[in-house]
Amino acid sequence: MTSLSLFLILVWLAAFVSGQLLFKRAMESSRAAGFRNRRTITTLSIGIVVMTISFLLNLGLLQRFDLSYVYPFQGSSIIIITLLAAVLLKERLTPRLILGTLLITGGVVLVSMS
Amino acid sequence: MPNRPTGFANPWFQFVLNILGVVVYELLLKAGASATANPASNWSWIGITALASPFTWLAILVIVVDLVIWLYILRYIPLSIAFALSRTVDVLVPISCWLILKEAISPLRWCGIALVIIGLVIVAKPAAELEERL
Repeated sequence: MTSLSLFLILVWLAAFVSGQLLFKRAMESSRAAGFRNRRTITTLSIGIVVMTISFLLNLGLLQRFDLSYVYPFQGSSIIIITLLAAVLLKERLTPRLILGTLLITGGVVLVSMS
Repeated sequence: MPNRPTGFANPWFQFVLNILGVVVYELLLKAGASATANPASNWSWIGITALASPFTWLAILVIVVDLVIWLYILRYIPLSIAFALSRTVDVLVPISCWLILKEAISPLRWCGIALVIIGLVIVAKPAAELEERL
């Protein structure tokens, strides 16, 4: 793992996490104001651009490493997404959800280390 | 979360379709990336060379359909729950790699997969409670 590949994985992670949050925001907006709403369209469009960047980076990483090695890095995004969903989207976090999220993340980290 | 659709439009049914879609497109992406791998090229880091493979384009098709399904799911299910449960793919993808691509899975990796499964079962509980409130 070179510092360049680590940097690209981090960029991929940031793009992926913000893309998911933008998607959820866009869908909330679509329920409240419809799909023709300007805010829905803007949020969804930015989300799609950000996701496309993370998709292309994903392809680049897959060309260097085994899928079963690269893929689990995405797992570390679970904790970040869960926390940001609570903070930014005001979603309710139950103790079970937090515990389950931690176990999934731990499992994914274990998978990526081995 | 009122007016949850039923039948084919049920967000949980769509969720299962979404998961299967992810497994299919990840395997297609790996097939496309492997077929075109050229680490010597400066462009390979952004993955653009993989577009030469039809597998990659088939994967993109599945990804677009899967994205629409995912957006639909997010209309009805909180992101924290939907995303945590979507990590079912972290179990299914390595196992598919093992079965189809013949990639090796170490004992430690199997332990990680088991841990993910336990976490998923625990998260499924708040999801079921969410369902009761609907």
